[in-house]
Formats: sequence, structure tokens, C-alpha cells
Amino acid sequence: MTRSLGGRRPRRRPEVWLRHEGDGGAVYDPDTAHVHPLNPSALAIWHLCDGETEPEEMVAAICQVSKMHPDVVADDVARTLVEFHQAGLLAPEE
Amino acid sequence: MLIADPKANAPWEGTLADDAERIRILLADEQSLFREAVRVILEGEDDFVVVGEARDGLQAVAEADRTKPDVVLLDADLPNCDGVKASHLIKEQAPDCRILILSGEEDQHTLIEALEAGASGYLTKDCPLNELIFATRAIHRGETLVPPRMLGPLLAQLIRRRRDQTEALRRMSKLTRREREVLAGLAQGVGHEVIAQQLVISPETARTHIQNVLGKLQVHSRLEAAAFVINNGIMEELVGAER
Repeated sequence: MTRSLGGRRPRRRPEVWLRHEGDGGAVYDPDTAHVHPLNPSALAIWHLCDGETEPEEMVAAICQVSKMHPDVVADDVARTLVEFHQAGLLAPEE
Repeated sequence: MLIADPKANAPWEGTLADDAERIRILLADEQSLFREAVRVILEGEDDFVVVGEARDGLQAVAEADRTKPDVVLLDADLPNCDGVKASHLIKEQAPDCRILILSGEEDQHTLIEALEAGASGYLTKDCPLNELIFATRAIHRGETLVPPRMLGPLLAQLIRRRRDQTEALRRMSKLTRREREVLAGLAQGVGHEVIAQQLVISPETARTHIQNVLGKLQVHSRLEAAAFVINNGIMEELVGAER
């Protein structure tokens, strides 16, 4: 089932550090001292959490590159953003 | 997984395949030592057959036409027509052919141009050989392969480009039909006198239209107006509207 992406533009918390490791990466949250490993797809979505990009734009760009079905990509993007949000890695909505 | 990631998948084990099932590969690289080394490696796989080699871009296009490969491994910096241009020409004559660009370094500009030219994948030449083998099979299956490190910046660039294009179309929508015809002329590098002849109007009227076009597009010169059309990839919309 396709999740609703909403219109908000997710923004990374500026104090969270990103470290590239091989093809993936990891983010370190100094507030919680937690390290969250990111696979390459999650890393790409993290890169787009700049406070300016809407999830729908992320989906369109990923579809353009991967030629995958928009519903599949939308589900993947929505799930990843929920995981970022639940891990406290995104700034609160303004 | 949004984009195929060589390291996230176990290498597919090759099985004996007859000729009809083998993936037909064309190798294009200026350096014969590189071609020969890659050919030996690829032909060690039961499901691969190298059907041709090329040392420059034009030869790659001709060999692709002659040998009808399933997959072309194209060096990005080929002489006589680089990998991006060669990709475009090969896709024109064989739309089903899949192209993997091999580049000496991670170059975001080449990556985006290659994908737009119809390539299905991009690898740097410092990748392990098993990644090249995996990538060849993956793009043959219809997947798109982008180095994971380049994916985020690539997506950001595509989004920026799409926003720019939307803004360009918004500005272009302010133009009258006649002004679009004039803009099409400017984009083709034609001066106001030729535009006037083509549209059967006086040179003064053409000049007035040009001034209006520049104002509505918020650009300062005819050259900038031409660049506006070309950089935003809206020539097709312009010509379509003109018809």
C-alpha cells in the first residue's frame, strides 16, 4: 500500500554527524550517543533531507534514475523518512 | 533497495549457457591492454561472450551496429566521440542495447549526461572485477546501476534541474505565440533580420518582439535567451508550441 508522503520538507538535525563508510554510511547523534547505519538508499535519501526537498520530489528523481514503479519508490521513501523521524534524526516541523 | 548495490547482493553464480542465452558484450576502450584483460576476465564467465572490441567512440558505434550486442562496456573518455555521445548514437540505432559507462573517476557531470544519453549504469575503473561482472549482469536484467556514493548528489542535481525546468516553463508561459516563434529563432542562433524574414514581419517588429521576450524571461541578452532554452531543455516544448 502506498503511504502518504505529505507535503513537508524533511530537514536533517544540523548537530547529527554523517560519516561515509564504503558505499553506505552512518549517522551519529551526539544527543543520544547513538550510531545509525545507513544503507546506500537511505544515505541518498538522507542527502535529500535538506529542508527544501519534498518527498514527492525525492520519489520523482529516484524513479527517473531507477525506472522503478512510483508506488514502490514512494513506499520506500516514506518508510525511510518515518525511520529517520522515529530515530529523532530530523528537525521538528516548523 | 532502491538502486542496485553490488555489495548488497551475493554474486550470481554463472551456469553453463548455450550461445543463444549468453550475454553478448561489446568492449570499447582506447587501451588494448585494458580491453584484452577485461575480455579474458569476462570470457571466464559461462554466460558471457565478447562479440566485439572498439578503440574509439565511432568504432564502438559501428561495431554495435555490426555485432548487435546485449551490453556495451564503454569508456567515458573514448577518442573520436566520447562515451556519452557514443551512448546516444548506439541507443538511437539499438534502443534495447544496454550500456555501462566505465570512468576513470567519479564525475557527477558525466554520470548525469550518460544516464540522459541512455546509459544504464556507471562504474569507476577502480572497482573490483566482480563488481564489473555483477554490473554487466544487472544492467542486462534491466537494472540501473549508480555508485552509491554518487547517488545522493545525482538525485539532488536531478531535483534542481526539474525545479529549474518548471520555473523556465512558467516564464515561457507568459510569451505570446509570436514571441515563442521569435525565441525559437534566437535559440537556433538566428539574428533578428532572419527572424523577420521567416515570420514575414519587419525587422523593427522582430526587434520589439525580442525585447519583449528578454523582459518576460528575465534575461539580458539574446545569447542568454538562447542559453535559457538550451540549458533548461525546453526547445521541444517551444517548437511544439510553434507548430
